[in-house]
Amino acid sequence: MTRRSFGELALGIVVVLGLAGVWKLQQKIDGQQQAMHLESDDLALRSGNLVKGLSLEYAPLMGAIYWTRAVQYFGAKHQMHDRNLELLWPLLDIATTLDPHLVVAYRFGAIFLGDSPPRGAGQPDLAVRLLERGIKENPEYWRFYQDLGDVYYFNKKDYAKASEAFRKGSSYPGAPIWMKVMAAKIAEEGESLETSYFLWKQIYDTAADPQIKKNAETHLKLVSAQMAIREIDRLSAEYQVRSGKRATHLSELVQAGLLKGIPLDPEGYPYVLGDGGKAELSVDSPLMEQQLMQKTLQP
Amino acid sequence: MSNVLTVAANAFREAVRDRVLYNLVVFALLMIVAAIFVGQISIGIEQSIIVSLGLTAISVIGLFIAVFIGVGLVSKEMDKRTLYALLAKPVERWQFLLGKFLGLVLTLAVNTAAMGVGLFLALWVVKHPLARADLYVFVAVYLILLKLALIVALALLFSCFTTQFLAILFTAMLYVAGVFATTLRTIQGVNLTPSTTAMLHGISYLLPNFENFNVMAAVAHGGSVPGAMVLYATAYVAVYAAIVLATAAMVFSRRDLK
Repeated sequence: MTRRSFGELALGIVVVLGLAGVWKLQQKIDGQQQAMHLESDDLALRSGNLVKGLSLEYAPLMGAIYWTRAVQYFGAKHQMHDRNLELLWPLLDIATTLDPHLVVAYRFGAIFLGDSPPRGAGQPDLAVRLLERGIKENPEYWRFYQDLGDVYYFNKKDYAKASEAFRKGSSYPGAPIWMKVMAAKIAEEGESLETSYFLWKQIYDTAADPQIKKNAETHLKLVSAQMAIREIDRLSAEYQVRSGKRATHLSELVQAGLLKGIPLDPEGYPYVLGDGGKAELSVDSPLMEQQLMQKTLQP
Repeated sequence: MSNVLTVAANAFREAVRDRVLYNLVVFALLMIVAAIFVGQISIGIEQSIIVSLGLTAISVIGLFIAVFIGVGLVSKEMDKRTLYALLAKPVERWQFLLGKFLGLVLTLAVNTAAMGVGLFLALWVVKHPLARADLYVFVAVYLILLKLALIVALALLFSCFTTQFLAILFTAMLYVAGVFATTLRTIQGVNLTPSTTAMLHGISYLLPNFENFNVMAAVAHGGSVPGAMVLYATAYVAVYAAIVLATAAMVFSRRDLK
């Protein structure tokens, strides 16, 4: 082996061992940074107009970059189960100031802001503010009214304003007829399982982001389960009228011919009858945890 | 080793002769203006602004020096043909490279230390009495110096096999990539396949991670920096720079200088 090839071999070994060392050290530094709770997403500038001024003619590009930052920020916080979403609003504010026509930032940003923790930031007022700005900047886009109606309906439980938002949106050319139906239905009934199911289905069908789609899917399963439970309770009451006793197990309803079999929830777990004779989700069902979370978060 | 130190001392002297340290005047002016005006145009964020602005200035000025002078360390000697006279003496090529590296790092150390003291003085002007946590400004300055040392090593490596312009470009590109190294690991994407995610994860560990040296947010808000982190960051730069310099030495030793 010549001196040169020996040198090259030695260098190769040094590089490989060195990079392995770098890898290990990087993991140690990551651990230290996590312990420090370093907020790497700290925003030096929080004024959208100032950032717009500094962006010169590249404001739309910067808007897209800030929107990407908002998505990454939300995704990373979600992954780490960190509920502190303090920078979400400033990021969305800057993104939409830089590019007022960035429709996606208003629509999905409102979902990120409006949904209750841990799914979202639990800031429906800011979600409304964002969407109202979107409507002002893009007056021809009817879907913002659908999103506004969703925020009022699901997050703020303000059914009069939800109905009003759907009604306003329905007057736009190209808006589907169901917007008008929703406006009337919510004005008449307030919150109902059928309306909730329909609105979540709309979100599920139109969402491009997998996280939002998954969230809508979970809500759809929960609403479906609640509708099934309502139906089982109705049959259980009918059983009590017919037999004069309260059913303690769903098999009694099956034997009485009221059910064809033990019904399963959307996750495939059988419903059960609780102590009060009311139908419930099985404790083994993954939906149970979601339902408990939802109940805990309800005002 | 004496050869290395001689080259290093000469590189330092040359930098001083080239008026590299004049940037300190710019930095001092910036700090004075910021210290005078920041209290008048903002409420409650004086410390945060002074520290962020000061550390950013130290980093940016150091970055320019590290990249532009770093890539010229070898090529300038070749252009002026002083390298041939030097290598005719009993100086190995790796000793020349290591000496140049240490010389520029020493220049940067003097530069950042002076700016660090200036920043501390500006902080004292806007906020006295100072708290114990304010001393972490010097830790942040030290971490910036570590970052700059790594950039000098990279600039030296690139300057060993390409033109000055391309060396600057490669160093700048690697710097930008290194700033986003951590982001590569946590990136979310609709269309990312598991293999792409794994590849990005691997790359993120192999790139020089310049986020390791960024404690600006913590220090600006009066936070602390754990000693272990400083230790690991120092070890990281020592190992990474050693790899880069060893590769540079190998490339430079094979280069035909005729």
